[in-house]
Amino acid sequence: MHGFRRDKKEEEDGSGSHSLLHLDKSSVLQEARATFNGTPVVARKCSHVLTKILMVLNQGEAIGKEEATETFFAITKLFQSRDQAVRRLVYVCIKDMASISNDVIIVTSSLTKDMTGKEDEWRAPAIRALCRITDAQMLQSIERLMKQAMVDKTPQVASAALTSSVHVARTNPEVVRRWLNEATEAASSSGEGLVQYHAIGLLYTARKHDKLAVRKLVSKHARIANRSSLACCLLIRIAAKALEEDDSVPNSGEMMDFIEGCLRHKSEMVIYEAARSLVGLNATNPKELAPAVSVLQLFCSSPKPTLRLAAVRTLSAAAAIQPAAVSACNLDLENLMSDGNRSVATLAMSTLLKTGGESSVERLVKQISSFMADIGDELKVEVVRAVRSLCEKFPRKASTLSATLAQMLRDEGGVEYKSALVDALIAVLHDDNDARNAALSHLCEFIEDCEHTSLATRVLHVLGREGPKTARPAAFIRYIYNRVILEAAAVRAAAVTALAQFGAHCPQLLPSILVLLRRCALDQDDEVRDRATLYIAIFQSEDQSLISSFISGEMHYSVTALEKSLKNYLKTSCSEEFDMKTVPIATPLEQGITSGSAPGSAPIEPVVARAKATVKEDPLEKVPQLAKYSPVFKSSGPLALTEALTEYTVSCVKHVTGSHVVLQFTCENTLTDQLLEDVWVQVEGDLEIVEIVNIDELKCGVQQSCYTVVELPDVDNLSSTFTLACTLKFKVRDCDPTTGEVDDGSYDDDYVLEDIEITVADHIQKVLKADWAAAWEELGPQNELEDTFALSAMNTLQEAVKQIHSFLGMQACERSDNVPEGRSAHTLLLAGVFRGGHAVLVRSRLALSNGVTMNLSVRSTDPRVSNLITQSVG
Amino acid sequence: MELTLVGLQYSGKTTFVNVIASGQFSEDMIPTVGFNMRKITKGNVTIKLWDIGGQPRFRSMWERYCRGVNAIVYMVDSADHEKMDASRNELHSLLDKPQLENIPVLVLGNKRDLPGALDEKQLIDRLNLSAIQNREICCYSISCKEKENIG
Repeated sequence: MHGFRRDKKEEEDGSGSHSLLHLDKSSVLQEARATFNGTPVVARKCSHVLTKILMVLNQGEAIGKEEATETFFAITKLFQSRDQAVRRLVYVCIKDMASISNDVIIVTSSLTKDMTGKEDEWRAPAIRALCRITDAQMLQSIERLMKQAMVDKTPQVASAALTSSVHVARTNPEVVRRWLNEATEAASSSGEGLVQYHAIGLLYTARKHDKLAVRKLVSKHARIANRSSLACCLLIRIAAKALEEDDSVPNSGEMMDFIEGCLRHKSEMVIYEAARSLVGLNATNPKELAPAVSVLQLFCSSPKPTLRLAAVRTLSAAAAIQPAAVSACNLDLENLMSDGNRSVATLAMSTLLKTGGESSVERLVKQISSFMADIGDELKVEVVRAVRSLCEKFPRKASTLSATLAQMLRDEGGVEYKSALVDALIAVLHDDNDARNAALSHLCEFIEDCEHTSLATRVLHVLGREGPKTARPAAFIRYIYNRVILEAAAVRAAAVTALAQFGAHCPQLLPSILVLLRRCALDQDDEVRDRATLYIAIFQSEDQSLISSFISGEMHYSVTALEKSLKNYLKTSCSEEFDMKTVPIATPLEQGITSGSAPGSAPIEPVVARAKATVKEDPLEKVPQLAKYSPVFKSSGPLALTEALTEYTVSCVKHVTGSHVVLQFTCENTLTDQLLEDVWVQVEGDLEIVEIVNIDELKCGVQQSCYTVVELPDVDNLSSTFTLACTLKFKVRDCDPTTGEVDDGSYDDDYVLEDIEITVADHIQKVLKADWAAAWEELGPQNELEDTFALSAMNTLQEAVKQIHSFLGMQACERSDNVPEGRSAHTLLLAGVFRGGHAVLVRSRLALSNGVTMNLSVRSTDPRVSNLITQSVG
Repeated sequence: MELTLVGLQYSGKTTFVNVIASGQFSEDMIPTVGFNMRKITKGNVTIKLWDIGGQPRFRSMWERYCRGVNAIVYMVDSADHEKMDASRNELHSLLDKPQLENIPVLVLGNKRDLPGALDEKQLIDRLNLSAIQNREICCYSISCKEKENIG
């Protein structure tokens, strides 16, 4: 250690530059060779040079193979020194150079001697270094030593062996699997807590893909009393992860009991971990949450700031899911608001915002202002989110709250904070008519002095969409036109578009808008001029359908898909006209957040948003045989075709394209003693198979996809539902689960899967129409079909709405999927695009009378589509 | 004094180190993967001994540990006639390295207790030691098992 000590002294002396700063790589390596190869070796000098080498390595300097090897061999000469500090630095250097030097196995013998030697200080680091330099072929020769070390009575040695094995398991899992008996023994040892912890860590790493083994691991060790706290925390995490992945497992109750039992553990760490896991488990219901919340409540009044912070953070997360369960802690949280620690106080407050009743809102919000100046942006965003969810929860308070948001908008803050605020204000617009005017004028004020182009354009877009619907649309024009005069090109262009929206929706303003647009047409930026010129031309044509499709209407195509389609088109001879119908349609994403939640319950935003986020990439492009079917019109969510925990698990995604359905079967083989080959899925039923892409080889624990393509008949012959019986076909080769050796012979086998249905919803993509009524008028009555049905199985309107909505797979417009409480009649408005690009609109009038009666009107650009939809409902 | 001990695998290098260090002989040895470093004190002399593995993959590394030592000890299994040619080639190619010029070499013919073992003269002949010039070279026939000629 003298090397370090001397450095420290120099630092304290303040004698100018530190000896480890500004090291030159080649001179350090040169010095190393000279020092280490000399006789006799001077320990003090050597540790200093070793430290320099480590410094150079850790600064990320690239060292060539040749010079690294030279230096490495020079370092090996230091095995002659028995100095503690030198030897331990040598181990560290060996580890760091293991990957950059050649022939590192030269130190194997010396390290094995050290790991079994008498010097306890050397044993653990020698094990760690040994595992780093040993490659796959040499592993066998150290197996016996590793197994011995795992059950060594010195805890440091056992821990080193166990943790190093975790690293080895990453590259050579099958070898480490043979060491698990010893690891199990170490895990059951009653001695040192850290050894138990590391042993369980290793057991889990080696078996984490085997759900059954993980479950056994937890249940076995959960029963052992006197477990170390660290091991206990790890077991809780393992159990929680297993439950999270799959809560339908047979003895999930046992795991749950274990976690709940840990709430009564004597160690605070374990109690907290258990509470945190319970909160984190998605399936948690208020009853299960209560015990977790009550221990967290106790932590809130702990004298330790770390515990308070942990508790309030977890409560804050719990409040997002189950505000009611957390409201029991309201009093404690209010006390924490005056906590000396800013982070604790802020979290307490944002939690209270989620859990508090309507009456306390105003008081809380007043306290926010005193906080905001002192806290970081990250926490500010947290507060804004909480205020936003309050707006949704208590619409009556929305105007007060939006005033607070506007106040915050005037303060300093980064772009993320501002954008959270703008998001919140825009959400208020959607939700509440009374607050709309106030929120819009706050936004207008904000863009008067906004330095972020992205936010300004977003606000202008919102103004263009919402402004014309207000009582006095003219008031907004001045704000928008000011942007045209003052801002950068991107903002000016957005402002021009916003102006055009007003022109299209408010005929009385059109003459003034045209004057403004003509002025914009003289702009120095191309984009701004082009937009202005286009809009002027459209307005002057006085053709309503042109106006509605180019200005007031919305684009439903996904922009990336449109770009791709256009690029593909340019690769062809361009002799045919570009067909817009081939472009996939984007699903309205943001709508899901507000419409997904029933009134009254707080929305779980992240969950909904994640579920709605569809993969934009075309899945068929990745498989060369399937590229010809691209682009995909609509992909369904994954559908399980087997029970969980069967020998083979298969799930299916339906990709509907122009004239085919590509069925993507994601298969996993859970049998360790089988290797599957030529895996494919046979489908039988109403549709013909046209192509199959199979999986050549499916090993245990790997997920891969095979594809079966079926052809769809044209719309005339389309029936509303096709049923396909599926069978998994494959060749089996038996293999040894421990060594992975595969038998030569194979035999055919099959496995029956659940049926797949291709329904009407698979052919229809959701489209959001902002002005549904206008779209309905535009389609006209020529292809309208109407019918009345009695839905006797339904008892409430909300239930019926949900059913129809999911059955047709169309987008609900104008928030008509929410049935206001206490009504006996409701109209559901749906919009979508049928495969092939035919627009479809559905109006479903529902009345509650002894079950639900439904009057369904369908309009479409294609009469066959209208017909099909009416039939399918019947 | 610093020595490096090399030679083909199973010639008895590590056994030799154990015998001179502690007088213990063991039949049951595992191959040396890499090297062992031993310090031995005999009377007033302290010997640093680098015992390097003899398997083919380590032979290219012998030279690194022979640089600058007081002497190279080359161990030969004098009863293994089949490997005698390989042993000779390895010795000569090692001594041809310019960095090892003038370093004295001691050739030890181990396992003289076994039937058919070569004696010193036969070893000098088979290993072509007379061709080695410009350095001190010496050849002894020993047995670690019987502790003959060691001490």
